[in-house]
Amino acid sequence: MPSRIQVPEPERETIAIGLEGSANKLGVGIIRHFPRPNKNSHRPPAQILSNIRHTYITPPGEGFLPRDTAKHHRSYVVKLVQQALKQSGIPIDDIDCVCFTQGPGMGAPLQSVAIAARTISLMWDKPLVGVNHCVGHIEMGREITGATNPVVLYVSGGNTQVIAYSHQRYRIFGETLDIAVGNCLDRFARTLHIPNDPSPGYNIEQLARKGKHYVELPYTVKGMDVSMSGILAFIDGLANDIFGGKAKYADDGSEITREDLCFSLQETIFAMLVEITERAMAHVGSQQVLIVGGVGCNERLQEMMGIMARDRGGAVYATDERFCIDNGIMIAHAGLLAYETGYRTSLEDSVCTQRFRTDEVFLAWRND
Amino acid sequence: MNDDRKKAEDSEALPALPKYLSEALDLKLISQGAEALVYFSKAHPYLPATLSSDVIHNSPISPAGYILKFRPPKPYRHALLDAQLTKHRTLSEVRSLYKMMLAGVHVPMFVAVDPRQGLIWMENIDGPSLKKWIWGQEEEIEKKVSDEDSRLTMREQTVKPTLVAVGHEISKLHFMDMVHGDLTTSNLVLRRKDDGSLEPVIIDFGLSQQSTLPEDKAVDLYVLERAFISTHPMHAEEYITWLLEGYLAGFGQGKKTAKFKAREIMKKLEAVRLRGRKRSMVG
Repeated sequence: MPSRIQVPEPERETIAIGLEGSANKLGVGIIRHFPRPNKNSHRPPAQILSNIRHTYITPPGEGFLPRDTAKHHRSYVVKLVQQALKQSGIPIDDIDCVCFTQGPGMGAPLQSVAIAARTISLMWDKPLVGVNHCVGHIEMGREITGATNPVVLYVSGGNTQVIAYSHQRYRIFGETLDIAVGNCLDRFARTLHIPNDPSPGYNIEQLARKGKHYVELPYTVKGMDVSMSGILAFIDGLANDIFGGKAKYADDGSEITREDLCFSLQETIFAMLVEITERAMAHVGSQQVLIVGGVGCNERLQEMMGIMARDRGGAVYATDERFCIDNGIMIAHAGLLAYETGYRTSLEDSVCTQRFRTDEVFLAWRND
Repeated sequence: MNDDRKKAEDSEALPALPKYLSEALDLKLISQGAEALVYFSKAHPYLPATLSSDVIHNSPISPAGYILKFRPPKPYRHALLDAQLTKHRTLSEVRSLYKMMLAGVHVPMFVAVDPRQGLIWMENIDGPSLKKWIWGQEEEIEKKVSDEDSRLTMREQTVKPTLVAVGHEISKLHFMDMVHGDLTTSNLVLRRKDDGSLEPVIIDFGLSQQSTLPEDKAVDLYVLERAFISTHPMHAEEYITWLLEGYLAGFGQGKKTAKFKAREIMKKLEAVRLRGRKRSMVG
């Protein structure tokens, strides 16, 4: 285990631009960090100068394919960077570094955004900083909510992890053994032909609110880990039966609707997530939970987590869609934290990777 | 255990035990995990207290008191799902306990179960956890002798036989294709027998499952190794070697197939050690 490294903090303001494009959202954000007024005080909250996002939306019943997503990112990235700069109102000279998502994510979209980042880094002569997408989510969540040392539930279309901090790394306590929770919801939305606008998960949440009957589904928690693929296959089968004219009935005799299915799916998979989070909290003795990632916007998940945290004498921290859903600002923020400790990514090392685990990142900026 | 007790007292809103129990019996909360509350009771759940003094001591009924494990309802999840999970988990834990008891593995004898309420009664194991016991031994040895060589000799005399016995006990578990799921040094308790020797007892089957895969058993051992490394970092390697010695010897007593099984598990353990418990993957 590496010893704790103390780094001098910069005594001036720093500004970073962040580019994110690991999935179907392309995001550009600019953030400003302020130095501590004196040694013992907290760092003042960061200032968000601009936070722009453009989402690649596919027709109902279809997912986003890597090639088309990459094409979307390529055609919008220049426009978004220009917009972000204009909105922030700062000259290019004031920017300290260019941050970009180095992984994990879909290969082709990651690459197109990395190319954009390299290009502006060379054009403006600013250093590059590669950022782990998951660490970006966690750091942004901590910054916005003020949670100091929470257990983190990171739930999105590509990731499902329960994370806790220890010895300058975010360690994964539990995770999905197959597909991510967002992927499970998205794919069920495709089965039901629910629109992908603004997002499949949001539309499932709205339908679930109208659901009344709980349909029993498989419940697969294995120690600290969860598995979702069996649940998806099971509920897909149910949905196909119902659409195929074979109606199913609840105990009170009423027909099971697609709202009921959405409701039951949410209740089951969120209960699994809350359970493994509670286990991690008991294990590390933490009373704070931070939910990050796109699925973290779901109000039912936040509510369930809130009840669990309250019973443990703690609290849940969650952010809204601006920061939960993939965005450029979180990449800028986490990148700037690393930049301030002297971290740089050389042009040769700026290749991105689809597999980039959260616990691979050494957090030089945390020393608690 | 003291820390746990303190934590349990500190937290305000404890999920309530069914009233008929908390009012009728003198129950003491001894630990609070994420899933269950564990209480200690001196009295047997259904035998009248007047029996206890003379009859119980001369019967196979445990004189060391009783443990009540309670899975409280979780208000965050849907009531139907909650009821289904509580029932299922309570029953599966009891089944594992009973199966292991029949197979001659040292586990707490179970007394009664109420799956709908999530209640399991079992005997209390009177003795220190392996963690506490090793800490005590290490301290004693450090006090008695000063050079590392004679300390090692003393550890070989006291700690080694116990760890070999623990390994042997785990091998019985795995031989029955039972995977514990949470093997730590706190879930291994040492019971003092009448002749003064120590007998390892495996407790807490809350995460246990039946599995024929060598992989699952290797992960069981790996989790225990990690527990040794984090709670007894000074001599972890030595302790693990002794433990595995007992583990393999336990399998060695069986037939050819048992030895083959053991070899497969060791091979997997090597692989698990290299990669950690988690595969390097993305969803």
